[in-house]
Amino acid sequence: MTTTATQDPQDRPARERASSSGVSGASGTSGAALAALPGVLSSALAWTVAHRTRFALPDDVLEPHTQVNATLKPLGELAQLGSTIRRTTAPGTPEHERAGDLVTYAWEQVHEGALLLELLRAEPFAAYPYEIYAAFAGYGLRHEGFEALARPLTATRAWAHTEQHANRQLGLVNSERRVGVVTHTDAGGVLSRTWLGGLSEPWMFEGPSGYALTHTVFHLTDWGRMPDRVPEKIDGYLRTWLPAWADGCLESGQWDLTGELLAVAASLPGPAPAELLDAVWPVLADVQHPTGCVPETGAPVQDPAPDPYPFIDCYHSTLVTAFAAALSLRSLRSPGQTDGSPPGRERRTA
Amino acid sequence: MDQTHASSPLAGAVHDLATEVVLALRSGDHLATVCGAAGIDEENRTGIAAVRVIGADLLLPSVLYGRHPHPGDVAVLDRAVREFPPKPDAPAATAWSHWHMISTLQRMAPPAPGAAATGTYAEPDAAWLEEAPWQAFTHQLSVLAPLAVPAAPSAVQRAAANRAVDLARGFVRAVRRRDWLQAAGAGRWLAAIGGEPATLGLDRGLDFVELMGGHDPRVALHVRAARLMAEARAR
Repeated sequence: MTTTATQDPQDRPARERASSSGVSGASGTSGAALAALPGVLSSALAWTVAHRTRFALPDDVLEPHTQVNATLKPLGELAQLGSTIRRTTAPGTPEHERAGDLVTYAWEQVHEGALLLELLRAEPFAAYPYEIYAAFAGYGLRHEGFEALARPLTATRAWAHTEQHANRQLGLVNSERRVGVVTHTDAGGVLSRTWLGGLSEPWMFEGPSGYALTHTVFHLTDWGRMPDRVPEKIDGYLRTWLPAWADGCLESGQWDLTGELLAVAASLPGPAPAELLDAVWPVLADVQHPTGCVPETGAPVQDPAPDPYPFIDCYHSTLVTAFAAALSLRSLRSPGQTDGSPPGRERRTA
Repeated sequence: MDQTHASSPLAGAVHDLATEVVLALRSGDHLATVCGAAGIDEENRTGIAAVRVIGADLLLPSVLYGRHPHPGDVAVLDRAVREFPPKPDAPAATAWSHWHMISTLQRMAPPAPGAAATGTYAEPDAAWLEEAPWQAFTHQLSVLAPLAVPAAPSAVQRAAANRAVDLARGFVRAVRRRDWLQAAGAGRWLAAIGGEPATLGLDRGLDFVELMGGHDPRVALHVRAARLMAEARAR
């Protein structure tokens, strides 16, 4: 019989180095996530604070040759995830203060919105200046001149018919909600066109569909703030399949996507999916470097030196880890984010 | 013996046997002798060992089509049971496979009055399966996929029925790992017990597994078994 046994592959260095407890096939101990999470959150935020000048915008940020992905994108993410962490943590805690400081820093970098207005004047028909601005606006940081120019542009037919992926369009709807204007379309209709909204066959999950799925949930729930916006059938679908996807991401060392999936799990209405969080968080905690950073992918470095990874290869996964940790703590500590009914799994066939 | 895909004589014999089972499942021809077609008789020790690997699936065409098995196949399976009893410290999966071969023989080919029965073997324990994490659970169930047949109750089958969602997650994991044999085994279990989440899309998933991994006849065997059971359930 042994010759027919399907063996687990032995070539899993990232996973095995990541966790001496051998998570493959193991369920997490009950309470394991709550034990690991405060340290993970605190450490990831400490790294971000210590490296905040790396998010600083260069003087030539508005020049055409400047790489948006290395400048405005990281700063926008700092603002977005920092403001979510701020809102998710309790006032008076060090994490709350640190997250607030990071958002303030990011706001200073965009000159309290004036730089975003310049960006919008340079690219008036692009969506991304508006999306970056919305990260601040949702937090209450606003710039009158930006909104004055954006208002007529976002009321056009062209804006309403911007051609883009469905999950990005949901992002635009969420940005509009944050700024407080009438949304250009109904979110439900856009949701049904996403990979997630189509309740896609879960065995077709892979990196690109995974990121499309996580962002669909982020935009739908305003980055985890509004779990009740997740429709019941999508809640059941996610509770059913997230364990399988997270397991695969751990095995292949996709730490960034793992963190995003954990944030999704912590953005579901109702009780926290504790079994999943208990199984996955200890592994991600082991991957986290003592300084608090988390690599995007691959075998974690054992080097205790302060900067084991290039900034561009770890800033996002570290921010995501902090964001997911804050949401997970909220989810695990609140006795059911809505009505306390048992966690839904989707209905079975037959 | 076609050893094109085989790394050893035993692997080659397993390949040939599985190929013949698949052909019999496709044709529904109950008169076919799987062992005969694979060139295996009671005196062929490598062949007998291969039958031990294939297990009760040797008689799967008869089981699924509800027909009497070929006497030659029964004799070789009986021989494999007698020659390869599990050692006392054998893995649980080996003990289960042995038990299932005996119970299949007793169900499909009861001994003639006066003839010696193959013997008895107590149903092994399955408590370890009920407690296994879903990943290990699916792996073990896939190894025990020959037990996924209709009208053959066992503690393994009850454990599977109680954990259909876990098996479905294991199917997803196996496909992602490109472990077609494990995916096919898990898919076969889901087809046998039902109750998988509707969004799994098992039918298309099995198509995919067969097209990607069906060059391994053991994969094709499980997929074919799954389809026949799913069709029977739908009737």
